[in-house]
Amino acid sequence: MSQKSDKHGKKIPKGVQMIAPDAYPQMLSKPQAARALHTLRSNDTATKAQVAMEAAIPPMRAAILQYVADLEQAAGDMKKQFEIAHEIRGFAENAGMITTGRIAEILCRYMDDMVRLAKPWDATIVVLHTSAIARAARAEEDDVRMGEVVAAELAALVARRLSGPESH
Amino acid sequence: MYGAGFENLKALIVEDNQHMRSLLRALLNSAGIKDVAEAAHGQGGLEVLRERKSDLVLTDMIMKPMDGLELTRLIRNDERSPNPFVPIIMISGHTEKYKVEAARDAGVTEFLAKPITAQNLFARIAEIVERPRAFVRCDNYFGPDRRRHQNDDYPGPWRRKDDFQQTEVR
Repeated sequence: MSQKSDKHGKKIPKGVQMIAPDAYPQMLSKPQAARALHTLRSNDTATKAQVAMEAAIPPMRAAILQYVADLEQAAGDMKKQFEIAHEIRGFAENAGMITTGRIAEILCRYMDDMVRLAKPWDATIVVLHTSAIARAARAEEDDVRMGEVVAAELAALVARRLSGPESH
Repeated sequence: MYGAGFENLKALIVEDNQHMRSLLRALLNSAGIKDVAEAAHGQGGLEVLRERKSDLVLTDMIMKPMDGLELTRLIRNDERSPNPFVPIIMISGHTEKYKVEAARDAGVTEFLAKPITAQNLFARIAEIVERPRAFVRCDNYFGPDRRRHQNDDYPGPWRRKDDFQQTEVR
């Protein structure tokens, strides 16, 4: 029996069933799809979306400040710190808190790398980042430049720790 | 009349953060997707899906009591699933490689990293509309074809197991 091929001519292994897009219900009909693509790429939609993004900033900012308070209170609870740090990384930029997001990103990268290496976190690094996140979040508007300096220093510290002998 | 194309589309947002749910709803609305349901976790999302037809699912990854990975697996594989083929966009701040791979292996259609932008969200939706993917059913997976790119001019050596099987068949 000959082996079946997919649309690229590549053989489909035995026991594998390929279901082509026209063999299952699609999200939109073809005429609807053409109009939908036009809508998604239109300037009008981009403008409306920009308004929506900006309207989300005040409530998201309040939510980030609550996450920051939760992060400070979670000192010593690594699982909780990990979860909250990732929430801050995910939301801060949508709240217009760029520096806060950047510092949370550095902390998350450090935590992810240590989890990957199955190593415990250096408590000092987590405390320093938590403190910097809190300061940046609470002074986001008038302290952007200092926040950027702090973010750069913390990134350098994490890079040094990750490349040091204790992380290998 | 020249409509948005999404007039009849029903979307579902599954996300535990109410502010992110509101933002996603507002972005979908701005593209003309007005019929949007919400749930705060995977279990709630599954219940909404069973009660109401949904053509597009946006889901967070980390939620309690049921996360987005489990929700995706149930949508794809549960015999009571109302639509195993529904496009699923997973939106997460957890962007480590192994988590993105877990999302892919659960059967998501697209992955979007937080923080989100309107452009990125619309690009994922456009990808689903413009290039719907074949589905694959095998012993341990049901979902969109995980091979995203086919390079017919690939110049390097063939190393995949099925490449050799293919060669042998010839």
